[in-house]
Amino acid sequence: MTVRLDTIRECLEGVIPGHIATCDTEGMPNLAYLSQVQFIDNEHVALSYQFFNRTRQNILAGSPVRLLLTSHLTGAQYRLTLAYLRTETAGPLFEQMKAKLAGIASHEGMSEVFRLRGSDVYRLIDIEQVTGATLALPPPVVNYLTALRRTTGRLAGCDSLARLLETALDCLGSEFAIDHVMLLMHDEGRGRLYTLASRGYPESGIGSEIPVGAGIIGICARERIPIRIGFMTSEYAYGRSIRRSVEADGQGDSLETAIPLPGLPEAGSQMAIPITAFDRLLGVLYVENVADLHFGYDDEDALVAFAAQLGLAMHHHQQTEEQAEDAPPAEVPAVPLAGPSLLVRHFAANDSVFLDDDYLIKGVAGAILWTLLSDFVERRRTSFTNKGLRVDPRIRLPGVSDNLEARLVLLQRRLEERAAGIHLAKTGRGRFSLAVDRPLQLISS
Amino acid sequence: MLDSECAAFIETGVSISLAACGPDRMPSMSRGLGCKVVDGGQQISIFLRRSQSAELLANIRDSSRVANVFSLPSSNRTLQLKGSDARIVPFAAEDLRIIERHVADFVLEVVPLGMSEAVVRAILAYPPDDLVAVTYSPAAAFSQTPGPKAGEPLAAP
Repeated sequence: MTVRLDTIRECLEGVIPGHIATCDTEGMPNLAYLSQVQFIDNEHVALSYQFFNRTRQNILAGSPVRLLLTSHLTGAQYRLTLAYLRTETAGPLFEQMKAKLAGIASHEGMSEVFRLRGSDVYRLIDIEQVTGATLALPPPVVNYLTALRRTTGRLAGCDSLARLLETALDCLGSEFAIDHVMLLMHDEGRGRLYTLASRGYPESGIGSEIPVGAGIIGICARERIPIRIGFMTSEYAYGRSIRRSVEADGQGDSLETAIPLPGLPEAGSQMAIPITAFDRLLGVLYVENVADLHFGYDDEDALVAFAAQLGLAMHHHQQTEEQAEDAPPAEVPAVPLAGPSLLVRHFAANDSVFLDDDYLIKGVAGAILWTLLSDFVERRRTSFTNKGLRVDPRIRLPGVSDNLEARLVLLQRRLEERAAGIHLAKTGRGRFSLAVDRPLQLISS
Repeated sequence: MLDSECAAFIETGVSISLAACGPDRMPSMSRGLGCKVVDGGQQISIFLRRSQSAELLANIRDSSRVANVFSLPSSNRTLQLKGSDARIVPFAAEDLRIIERHVADFVLEVVPLGMSEAVVRAILAYPPDDLVAVTYSPAAAFSQTPGPKAGEPLAAP
């Protein structure tokens, strides 16, 4: 094999549809068009099985397979020789191809027609480049190796989870030229993802939630595999699909729906990348663009490498905040406050917190805030530790694996966005302080 | 034979590909640069580049069996023809204008869909001394427009 498949993956995107040739047992050839070719590795590809047609019959009857693929960037044509191995009807590969096909079907006006029945996995035997003139490959918009190198350096210099997340999203903009990004954390206990940071939207959407399994982001989390869709499709629109799936599983009440999800109203291209560390799903990175086919295999590879780095760093900061603890700073007693008081209302049923009747947050972050404010009002306490919160019976964290530091970042950002006069600030590893601008009146119901 | 509507369709700005099989059932295939309907649809000639089609031409020489697909990118309308009497014939210089017109029609078809004209012209470049024709009688026709009816035979050609 003189050509490596990973160097010609633009041919697999279907901008110029590929052809598949097979042969029946009588020796009669058959030709068909391909919706998509999925890269697995340099020795394997998968093709979508949508209909039981002549191609399918020939393959099951042992036909060798040839593909003719064409690069829309250079005009180069390649003939691939394949041998059928197996069909997968569930799992990560199937879900990747199903999502991609939904975009293609929607683009072709075939949403009612195209349905992925299986992912046919093939062994790649040979790639032959067809003789003919080709154009030079256009220079890429971004040099991903440089972007990764610079980002790795910047992430390594971050001293807190909050700083890490800010830097990561800044890097996606400045180094990777990606303008619309969301970073969602995994709430393992509740099977949810909550938005912790975003870029490129009028509203940050911090605190908004998506159930694992719903839409492109939820499926990425469930399967722990990148999902990339090149055309707009309502089937994977995370906004709409969420309520439906949550209502279906009868948990509509517990999902954070008061905070709207950010997102482009009409994204042509979407990509969701799982963020993992040591076999645990920490969150999902989601990027989108108004243009069709904006993200390719190289973009996916770059973001997977980026997410791997980010995941390890997130894990490190979470561990550090909980295991290490800097010496406490001198406790500064809260000064007596003047002015009209802020009414803080807490509903124990779901730990929702309202400030002057405006909804702020619920769930674990709501319980944390209520605990902090109660201690402040009762004991004038302003200094807290992650360790202390972890064991505080009033908070009921979902589990030891839960990322408490991420919950604190979420709470801090929601408070800042609301400019309600309640501030959280880190004062060292595993420590933070509470500051309040106005007298508080706490009501729990 | 091919009905007049299908005959007209395959001479528009469609993408064309031709396939055959070796004795070991290994398929071979090449992109067509244009086609000509002969004898009112009794026969069809597909124009290919010889240098791109060595295996395909060898298979046709051995088996005479071909599958031939025509697809219009703007509508996805796709037609597959099959024949069992394919033979290789020298390219006739007067047919060059057919290829020229086909390339022009194909460019008009795909550039509005976002394709680069330079890339399309590279894919369909045709050094005249490299051209060859394959002629066959279409014995079966199938609609392959994507959907559940794809693959159904059309009325016997």
